[in-house]
Amino acid sequence: MFEFFIFIILPLITSLICYFIKNLRIQYCISLVPGILHFGLALCIFIGFYHTNLPFLFGIDALSKLWILILSNVYFWVVLVSYSYLKRPVNSKAEAGKQYYFLLLNFYLAANSAAILSNHFGMYWVAVEATTLSVAPLIYFYRNEEALEAMWKYLFLISIGIAFAFIGILFLTLSAKGTILEGKQLFFWEFIKNAGQLNPIWLKASFVFIFVGLSTKIGLAPMQSGDIDATSNAPSPIAALMSGSLRITALLGVLRILEIIRPTATYEFAKLIMIIGGMLSIFVAFVFMFKVNNYKRMLAYSSVEHLGIITLGIGIGGLAFIGAIYHAIYNSITKVILFLTAGNIHSRYQSREVSKVTSVMKLMPVTGWLFLISFFAISGIPPSGIFFSEIKIFEGILFSTKPGLLFIAMFFLLFIFINMGKIIFSMLYNKGTNDKQDNSIEKFEFIHFVTIALLIILIALAIISPDILFNRISSIGKDFGINL
Amino acid sequence: MGIEIIQGIISIIIIIGLAPLFAGFINKLKAILTGRIGAPVLLPYYELQKLFKKETIVATDSSFISRFSPLLNFIIMLIASAMLPIGFWKPLISFNGDIILFAYMLGLARFFQILAAMDIGSSFEGMGAAREATFALFAEPIFFFTLGSVAFISGQTSMYEIYHSIRLDNVSYIVFIIICSISAFLLAVTECSRMPIDDPNTHLELTMIHEVMILDNSGLDLYLYQYSGYIKLFIYGILEISFFYPFSAHSYLVGLIIFIFGAIILTFTLAIVETITSRFKMKNIPQYLLFATAIGILNLLIYTFTK
Amino acid sequence: MGNVLSILFCLSLFYVCITSRVKGFVTVLRIQGILLSIIIVIPFIYHFSVFGIILPVTILLVKVYLIPKYINKIILDLDIKRMIEPTIQQFSFLLLVIVTMTVIFIVTHILSQSTELNVIPFASGFSAIIIGIYIIMFRKKLIVHVAGFLILENGIFLFGTSVASELPVMIEMGMLLDVFVVVFLMGIAINNISTTLSGFDVTALGRLKD
Repeated sequence: MFEFFIFIILPLITSLICYFIKNLRIQYCISLVPGILHFGLALCIFIGFYHTNLPFLFGIDALSKLWILILSNVYFWVVLVSYSYLKRPVNSKAEAGKQYYFLLLNFYLAANSAAILSNHFGMYWVAVEATTLSVAPLIYFYRNEEALEAMWKYLFLISIGIAFAFIGILFLTLSAKGTILEGKQLFFWEFIKNAGQLNPIWLKASFVFIFVGLSTKIGLAPMQSGDIDATSNAPSPIAALMSGSLRITALLGVLRILEIIRPTATYEFAKLIMIIGGMLSIFVAFVFMFKVNNYKRMLAYSSVEHLGIITLGIGIGGLAFIGAIYHAIYNSITKVILFLTAGNIHSRYQSREVSKVTSVMKLMPVTGWLFLISFFAISGIPPSGIFFSEIKIFEGILFSTKPGLLFIAMFFLLFIFINMGKIIFSMLYNKGTNDKQDNSIEKFEFIHFVTIALLIILIALAIISPDILFNRISSIGKDFGINL
Repeated sequence: MGIEIIQGIISIIIIIGLAPLFAGFINKLKAILTGRIGAPVLLPYYELQKLFKKETIVATDSSFISRFSPLLNFIIMLIASAMLPIGFWKPLISFNGDIILFAYMLGLARFFQILAAMDIGSSFEGMGAAREATFALFAEPIFFFTLGSVAFISGQTSMYEIYHSIRLDNVSYIVFIIICSISAFLLAVTECSRMPIDDPNTHLELTMIHEVMILDNSGLDLYLYQYSGYIKLFIYGILEISFFYPFSAHSYLVGLIIFIFGAIILTFTLAIVETITSRFKMKNIPQYLLFATAIGILNLLIYTFTK
Repeated sequence: MGNVLSILFCLSLFYVCITSRVKGFVTVLRIQGILLSIIIVIPFIYHFSVFGIILPVTILLVKVYLIPKYINKIILDLDIKRMIEPTIQQFSFLLLVIVTMTVIFIVTHILSQSTELNVIPFASGFSAIIIGIYIIMFRKKLIVHVAGFLILENGIFLFGTSVASELPVMIEMGMLLDVFVVVFLMGIAINNISTTLSGFDVTALGRLKD
């Protein structure tokens, strides 16, 4: 019960407290507590110091242990940075919105933990809906027209997607009719054990609906529009949170149903759909990267691309699956770094358009270097972890039954790299004609410290690659039938 | 055999005789509902008698169609009424597939009426003819989806057999029949130009659909057209009532009483609907008719798939 | 009995297609809420239990009272014009809906030969889902989009009852409350949209295109 309290109840209590306290600093200090405890406990569970005992609708296995560690990590660094981010001046309407920031953030933590730890499809669904509800008002932070439109699109499109996922869950119940699973009420383990008896037609329909519904939240093409708009207009910590943790929680749902489908004959069909989804996402990112002129939108498309790579890896299976899991970890860390530095640039230049942001390297040297290094990190230059995970995925694709996909994917990734590089180098090194901006060189701030810490973690994790990580991921792979 | 012929002839005489009374009843009820005393119930008879004595004038540029179209209409109505079952009596004309003959007889009557209207050469009649043709197009599927679905389910194709096979025993069948009758009611309202499709009391020619087609007829022509109109209304009323007439009753007297009772309820319904509703915009009428068709299709789907 | 209610549900869907008033949507939502709560109550008439009455009462409260009241308040506050402006004609929309419903019924019938399911509520629920999507695709006003979303949720609910799943009452209530909060947030968003942006049509939301 203790871990249930720390993971879910404590953030809920904290969010309630934040409702009553108006001082931002105190809210920040109080919100740090669940963040630290969450991270610590997740680390202990992952390493194996602590064995869990969760109540009725919740349970934990290898996949959840890794996922909750990813969530804790991203959340911890985002909360740490939040106060210094909130101290920056914004327009008057948004000042009122700052009161709700920590409240919603804690509620998000509770909902997301509940989704990861849940044992039951229904509970998972309710928790994912709750995360949507908690993130949507946060997108509206800046209180201007674009933010409003982004919030509306996000809320609407994601709710429809989640409704589709619910239809998929109902189809899953239907596939269990007539077997001994009837009435077992959608617990994962029961379904996985008896998967062979499920009716294949309904299982296929269920997978399609859940995948399509959750891909609005994951951000895969062709349902990526709500997500892109939201990520590009949200404040940077929130965008980092969404890219780092929200998408992969939705991916968890897809992984669960994939686990159920694995022993049956529908597995090939499901893998094919995932491969198509992945390739389509990379293609969409490739196309749109040519004409994007808003650097946060560029980062959002980069998220689409990387989630597409992860989905592709899961779809191919085998070594690519292991690579995809590693990619999920490294991607979430790198995205946080990218969005935090982009947020720095935005608060200095007050514009998201690339044409208005010039000579960053001269005026903001620390941020500029960090941005450059994180761009190299996300593109897969060693020693960044993304390099290692992408190598594994590519190796997996090459040795699978469809090696041609590798060349297509690498072609797209090459051009995405070129376009991103073009935009970033123009931001960093172009001399601006605008001489109204102040030419003060920026100082080293707390955000930079956090970003450097994250970079160090990324590189260290990739180079050292602790055994415990490898063991956990292998056990996840075993759950999915992949033996190394 | 002989008694059947006599029964058939009596049915025709009843339909022709009572048709103006039905229309008179509806008008009287409408008047009472709006707080007036209204015309006497037998007024349609007096009107027809008045028209019979008047002089018939035809337009100078009209052709032979205007001469024989009113008579053709009346004769077709007579034949159609010979195909309707009243009570337990087998109609005079009854064979397999006569439901299609019935529908297209009425269609033939309408066709000649439209031609005669266009033949007169005035723009009002042409406008009315165009509107009538359009709405008849949308109203035809309703007939087939309503009566046709009952035919489909019972497996018979003669109207007498179809109505005979309606046995109101289980709940879903009763619901099916109720929804069919709602659909048939919407059809009746359309075909006989009642509200909310067409206001029979309007004097503005631009808003009329059916009345405007017979605007320039007088004397015997008008007598025949009006009488055919009354008979048509009564025919559709009988189609509607016969859905509920439990043919499993075995006594003629009880059957007759139920029939009269049903007719009275139908007049009440028609009068209330005419009083409450206002006329639809012309551009909304096709979707109203499609709505009635949709009800018919839905009905058919649901009943087939619950078996 | 469940079949009759599903038929009425389908008729309410037809009414949605031909209505041209915004308040018509609210009426349809109310009717659907009442029908759904009756459908839920039916199994409990025979073995009555206090526990079993919670869900129908909650549905009645939320779907018939709270949500329509909230939408009416939004309509009143924003002085939304009474007519909806459809993107395609009503007639073609109704034709599309009829064709869709027929296809869904036939497909359900084919499917029901392999699995045992309750054909009429299943097909009604599924057609409500598809019609909700059509409303979102083919209508311009944002409040009508919200109504379309609610019809989609009603369809999912009806569909869920026909699958005869023993989803725990908690999950159903969770879903209901989620829907309510989503509508609440959407209402706030619409309020802000109509005050900051120029109108309440989807055409006003065009800034974020690539």
